[in-house]
Amino acid sequence: MTVSQLSVPTRPRTWPRVAVVVGVIVAITVLTTLPALGGVNIDLGAIARNWGNGSERIGKLFPPDPSILPRTWKPLLETLEMALVGTAIAALLALPLSQWAARPTNPSRSRIVVRGVLNVIRAVPDLVYATILVAMVGVGALPGVITLVLFDLGIVVKLVSEAIDSADASYMEAGRAAGGTQTQINRVTAQPQTWPVFASQVLYSLELNVRISSILGLVGAGGLGRLIDEVRGFYRYGALSMIIIEILVVVIAIEIASNVLRKRLR
Amino acid sequence: MTVLTATRAPAITRAPSRPRRLGVRAAQLLVGAVVLASALHLDIGWSDLAQLPADLRHYLGLMFAHPDWSRLPGAFYQTWVSVSMAWVGALLGVVLSTLLGIPAAAGVGPLWVRLPLRGVFAVLRAVPEVIIAIIILTVTGLTPFTGALALAIGGIGTHGKWTYETIEAVPPGTAEAVRAAGGNLLEVARWGLWTQASPELMSLALYRFEINVRTSAILGLIGVGGVGDLLTGYTQYRQWDAVGVLIIVIVVVTMVIDGISGAIRRRIMRGARTRDVDRSS
Repeated sequence: MTVSQLSVPTRPRTWPRVAVVVGVIVAITVLTTLPALGGVNIDLGAIARNWGNGSERIGKLFPPDPSILPRTWKPLLETLEMALVGTAIAALLALPLSQWAARPTNPSRSRIVVRGVLNVIRAVPDLVYATILVAMVGVGALPGVITLVLFDLGIVVKLVSEAIDSADASYMEAGRAAGGTQTQINRVTAQPQTWPVFASQVLYSLELNVRISSILGLVGAGGLGRLIDEVRGFYRYGALSMIIIEILVVVIAIEIASNVLRKRLR
Repeated sequence: MTVLTATRAPAITRAPSRPRRLGVRAAQLLVGAVVLASALHLDIGWSDLAQLPADLRHYLGLMFAHPDWSRLPGAFYQTWVSVSMAWVGALLGVVLSTLLGIPAAAGVGPLWVRLPLRGVFAVLRAVPEVIIAIIILTVTGLTPFTGALALAIGGIGTHGKWTYETIEAVPPGTAEAVRAAGGNLLEVARWGLWTQASPELMSLALYRFEINVRTSAILGLIGVGGVGDLLTGYTQYRQWDAVGVLIIVIVVVTMVIDGISGAIRRRIMRGARTRDVDRSS
């Protein structure tokens, strides 16, 4: 056999796998679109019939009505304050919790309990928390702040503890060799190491919080959402679009600021 | 004669003085002050807070001490409606945002296509799904289809962004090789980009479904059906034992879906672990 007889290897057969994947996707799609089973009734006829309603309503959104602006300052401030306070409380709680939930910083079994509780907390959507908390503690900013804290805890602790898990933990051995207790090791070695990840996740959760807290008011948890609900009730679509533009500006400003800060953290 | 001369021990090196970080300290103080000020300005009766743990225990007891299990079938049915919304919304959203995201990637579309598309993504990211649903409501009514459409359109904002970022992150080598071998635009896309970007894109699509499962429960709050619809009803009438069942169902279903989808995503991104084991035989 000579070298000149090199041949191109045959293409691996991938089509059976592709067929299975496509088959599963099609099957789930069919199952979820059967109205008899409670699936989504894809009613293209309704779109064709009522197309005008939607475009008319989008048309009503323009031009935005600036006369609503003076009334938005207070709720907007409340929205931002809720986001900030929620993020701050969540950050304070997440610092110990994320070390508690990661293997290098907590070799004991209690890690699994902490992770389990946080998985449950993360599985409940934000507005569901808000709805229930409003019913529990009454209308206002308090249920909003608690909602944001729970939401932030879920994501910050998950991402930071995963970062601790995947980081090289050998530097912690130095602490153990020097005879430190686990708490001392965490405090002196793990905490400075995870600081950038932690700060970056907290900033990210602040961004999300501004977005969420602007709609929490829809269920009575304070902030701009209450005003949104009100102008929608009075069919003031110009005012609605003005508020949306306001949220847009604030969200993008916070996004830019947090991107700048995050770049400096690296 | 042996005289042990005591060698002088090396002087203990002095630890360098801590860097002075006045700017950082000032920034920390400022942030702390702003947080404190906004906490005090918020309209919260901080004195009521002492009573909060007792309240929470009371209501958690009402919800979970004796859950009303007769509501279980209804809760599962409505959760299925929500999951259906999430799936259809994810499918539509991923298809739309792939179609829009590819031309928005640098190196694929020209600047005058990229900029407006990215603008659209940014606007859609800022508008909450609930508001998109309120607009779509006028076309398709209070149906799960409205929820699915709202999830699809709202998802374009983030998913379109992820799509063009993924495509931009593809190393250009393969695409160049295909081009050098004489491939046209379609062939470059199929063999240069798709092979490298598809695992990430598929993983993101599944992740979109996971997010939608959570958001679809929220959309029910405005009445498009699903588990959120039930939840508003039960909380308004203070049927706490039924609320408890709903929350258990939401948590269990969400965690199961997250688990399955997370396992598939890990498999997509890392590949099978044992595929090459038998090669030696």
